[in-house]
Amino acid sequence: MRKSHPIELSDSDNIVQVNDVSKSYGSSKVLHEITFEIPRGSIFGLLGPNGAGKTTLIRALTGITAPDSGEIILQGKPQKPSIGYLPEERGLYRKMKVWEHAMYITRLKGLSKSESVNHLKPWFERLGMTDWLEKPIESLSKGMQQKLQFVITVANDPELLILDEPFSGFDPVNADEIKREILGLHEKGKTILLSTHNMASVEELCTNVCLINRGKLVLNDSLSSVKSTYRKSIFEVEFKGSKIAFANALGHQFEVKEIIDNNDRSTALIQGFDNVKSNELLRALIQSVEVKSFSEKLPSMNDIFIDLVAPKLEIESSE
Amino acid sequence: MNQVNKILLIIRREFVSRVRKRSFIIMSILGPLLIGAVGVVSIYLSQEESEDQRVLVIDDNYPQFKDLEDNRLVSFDVQPISIDEGLSKLQGDQYTAVVHIYKNYYKTHRGALHFKKQPSINVQRQIERAIQLKGEIYLLGEFDISETDYRRIKTPFELHAFKYDPASSKSEQTNYLPAIVGIVFSVMIYMFIFMYSIQVMRGVLEEKTSRIVEVMISTVKPFQLMMGKIVGVAAVGLFQFLIWTILSLVIFSTAQYVMYDQYESSQIMDGASMAKELQGEFADQSPINTARFSEEDNIFQMLERVNFPLMIGMFIFYFLGGYLLYSALMAAVGSAVDNDADTQQFILPVTFPLLLSYIASFIIFSNPNSPIAVWMSIIPFTSPVTMIVRIAFGIESGDLWQVWLSMFLLIITFVGVVWIAAKIYRTGILMYGKKPTLREIMKWIKY
Repeated sequence: MRKSHPIELSDSDNIVQVNDVSKSYGSSKVLHEITFEIPRGSIFGLLGPNGAGKTTLIRALTGITAPDSGEIILQGKPQKPSIGYLPEERGLYRKMKVWEHAMYITRLKGLSKSESVNHLKPWFERLGMTDWLEKPIESLSKGMQQKLQFVITVANDPELLILDEPFSGFDPVNADEIKREILGLHEKGKTILLSTHNMASVEELCTNVCLINRGKLVLNDSLSSVKSTYRKSIFEVEFKGSKIAFANALGHQFEVKEIIDNNDRSTALIQGFDNVKSNELLRALIQSVEVKSFSEKLPSMNDIFIDLVAPKLEIESSE
Repeated sequence: MNQVNKILLIIRREFVSRVRKRSFIIMSILGPLLIGAVGVVSIYLSQEESEDQRVLVIDDNYPQFKDLEDNRLVSFDVQPISIDEGLSKLQGDQYTAVVHIYKNYYKTHRGALHFKKQPSINVQRQIERAIQLKGEIYLLGEFDISETDYRRIKTPFELHAFKYDPASSKSEQTNYLPAIVGIVFSVMIYMFIFMYSIQVMRGVLEEKTSRIVEVMISTVKPFQLMMGKIVGVAAVGLFQFLIWTILSLVIFSTAQYVMYDQYESSQIMDGASMAKELQGEFADQSPINTARFSEEDNIFQMLERVNFPLMIGMFIFYFLGGYLLYSALMAAVGSAVDNDADTQQFILPVTFPLLLSYIASFIIFSNPNSPIAVWMSIIPFTSPVTMIVRIAFGIESGDLWQVWLSMFLLIITFVGVVWIAAKIYRTGILMYGKKPTLREIMKWIKY
């Protein structure tokens, strides 16, 4: 799948600016002075374990609830951006018919009758739902209901899309379809906030990520910088030649973690120390063996997520 | 789109989705038919005893009551046997009841009625009267009065009630029918408020548990969503009332058309015998019965005397006022809890005043100007159900201020209650998990 480049632009090109936002429910503080921005046109991954405060933050962004302190600035072009919000817990009027329901919500969002028809029709056609329009929602499969939710969210052509776990409940085929649509919207210049636990989809889609844990901001950067920040200096080398020569060539800055033989070639995982650069390893190796391929193994978002969140969870549970 | 249009969209959805339901259509047609059927059946039951009573009288003073006079409903067979022997005769079908007149009739004044199937109060009165009459006639010899003279002495007397209206200086005959109509309206208001405010609660709860509310609240304000639902459901209630009114009118005029001739002729035919029977009745007659027998009235003429435009106007006002009050509270309840089971604990306290006023309306029926009637018809939580009964009786011009006060207080209160309910609703619909305590709900109001 195509991957877009991270967008790092000046302040004025942020569609959302969150400044020092705090929120409490009763005595428990759910958000602690959160500050971040969402660059216009990015696919922004909002990550965090369950109960981290993601939903509260999203509700504050959509204006459902107001923060206790701090401010949220939405900068559309030219006025306030329109928001399409797909909540994690999907709700539909089960007794209504698909078309009726879609028209109702779209019109509530401010479109006229004819505008609503013009916006909804192409989406239903694209997602192959035209045969279902006159059916009551309760007769739809879960996946189909999810698609309907998605259509309703994007139908009024909002500048900012907030999608909370958009892939849950989808089979791989439908999930792929929705991913394609998200990338399509991204290409049209829409900004997408994606809140999910599915780290694979974060890597596939997101240009920027932010991680909150226990109501605090832990991480906020473009995906590529996050990955290089949390790199662990592990390299994968495929080579032809003597394994002993290979091992001897490594200095004290490197250590072999694993070697796998593969016919006349071997693949080794090397751990580097002291933030060593990949070129130093390459320089040491090419004198002793024939290097066939070389890459630095960057940590997956999954690893980063667990690294950042797990220790705190352990402390929490031992408290 | 402006905010008003959004509310209109919500109202329309609430209205259309409910009116299209099969249960609504069935209720709309069946409602008046059911009410009509209940009316016809109860009139029929009150008029006719299902079977003739054959009463075995065990007279401990035999032969004093030997010749008890049979009447329309009851026939007597007096025997000087023991009570045990008498009761054993209830085994078969020969007798429907056994009456035991105790010894020393003029001292005890008492007897016992044994039965297999409870006879009506009416039958019991007839038996009592027959025995009483016999007891009195038995004594006549002691005073040297002939039975004919005695029957002349014992003349029945009854009062017909006329209400004097100082404004028109006219006095018009009253009857209980307007009051009965008042009770019917009161029960209807109670039913409608209860039914439709529960519908609001279920609607709110459904939106909350299905989580549609989150999508909605990101588009419209919570207050718009709540009021849209409340007004939409109110429209459903008024629409149903309209259907009922029209259907009732159709049924009423059809019944009048079909039954009027029959009624007229039977009245003329039975006129003489009825008058006789009236004279023969010794004890009290209920005014309703008297009215039924009086020459000029039939039920249709009496109904025409009810001020239906006023009653319908008052119904709409008090239904809407009471409904807004209770449905706003119910919306708050629906928003505060997570599931149907948890609503129970809140429904009871919220609807208690409603239930109380429902019971009170029957007390008001017998005394429309008692202090409890006046107070309950003024207090906003009970006035919707009770005031209509008093209005049906007719309010003295000197007491008109009570109606105005009652209406004013109802309006003020529902505005206040809607305001508070909206605050609970706003917070409640987004709260999941544990059931909130009353103290937490109070906190939501202050947010």
